[in-house]
Amino acid sequence: MLRLGAAWDDEPALATAWRAARPFPHLIVDGALADDAVAELLAVVDEEPVWPYEADLFAFEATAPEPTTAELRALRAAWIAALTPRLARITGAAIGRADLRAYAYRPGHYLLPHTDHQAGLDRVLAYAYYLPSPAPPRGGELELYRCEVAADELVVTEPAAVIAPAPNRLVVFAVGTASLHQVREVLDGVRLSLAGWFYP
Amino acid sequence: MTDLGELFTARAALVVPAAIGAAAAAEARARLARRGYARYALVDRGSYDVVAEPDEAALCAALAALAADRLRPTPTAPRPTLAVVDARALRLGPGDFVLAHHDRVHEDRLLELVLDLSAAPVAGAEVHYRRGGQLYHRVAAAPGALSIVERDGGVTCHHTYVSRRQPDAVVRLVLRLRALAA
Repeated sequence: MLRLGAAWDDEPALATAWRAARPFPHLIVDGALADDAVAELLAVVDEEPVWPYEADLFAFEATAPEPTTAELRALRAAWIAALTPRLARITGAAIGRADLRAYAYRPGHYLLPHTDHQAGLDRVLAYAYYLPSPAPPRGGELELYRCEVAADELVVTEPAAVIAPAPNRLVVFAVGTASLHQVREVLDGVRLSLAGWFYP
Repeated sequence: MTDLGELFTARAALVVPAAIGAAAAAEARARLARRGYARYALVDRGSYDVVAEPDEAALCAALAALAADRLRPTPTAPRPTLAVVDARALRLGPGDFVLAHHDRVHEDRLLELVLDLSAAPVAGAEVHYRRGGQLYHRVAAAPGALSIVERDGGVTCHHTYVSRRQPDAVVRLVLRLRALAA
């Protein structure tokens, strides 16, 4: 079982923060995992191979969509078991399963603005958990945009919030047609994270 | 009007180096700057400066003639007449990009020319053409170079992200050409 940090103890306060967050519902949980859990998690991730991925929207390294080691599969199961009930209570979202991949953003890597919303994929909540890095990154912030939608198209996009990839920080946000966000280019160092989505 | 397939035996995708000299490129950049760039910032599609009507008729005609020469199947074949459908100038600075789903759809076949008017090479700033998702023509940053690509509905294009780790902007004149009957 993955041990969560004390930051989760006050769920009503987290729920209030979720509802108040702008430009769209999101949650920032610092100290998301207990210290010993972070060390265990790092050891598991360190054994998983990563591959380069590049398209018009992104350039980064990531593990395969499906973990190759039993340890990472077990970690994913523990992650889901620990977080799903809490996030369901805090956000009010009906979630039941999740996926998980590890990401490494090195200098020059980025993920350009997109919403995560795709018809048929049923992504409800997106998350990113930032791991301690041997070379803490400069850049690599998560940037959220305020959007206006008309006729199913974004017609206004404005930067609205910037979240630094601080170690042991979990960011969760609601996925929708206007949940526009990006990972800013990493300029130095390495940004290490776990990320994925929660589904019904 | 003639279909491009009647003129060229294979679908073209090539780069002509040094299609324009540094001095002429600098003059073109200055003219475009005077004409004035508009900022495009719907960032789910792109982030760049654009001159939608660059008013570069002489330069466009010269590029069309150059493309017609390069695309003749044999040196002695008659040179086709290529008409400019439209043109625009793009300037991508650090942090800028144009995503593939912001690309104009081309249901019919035409030629797309991209002239690199940049003052200096911008590392990693490229134009990528894909067919069926597969990258088949990569246009590296090379001031003065002209890319010539035959396009149809199966081709997508994007301008890659320009890194913030370098200070320069890339300037591109983008033309679409159609073949006219002789």
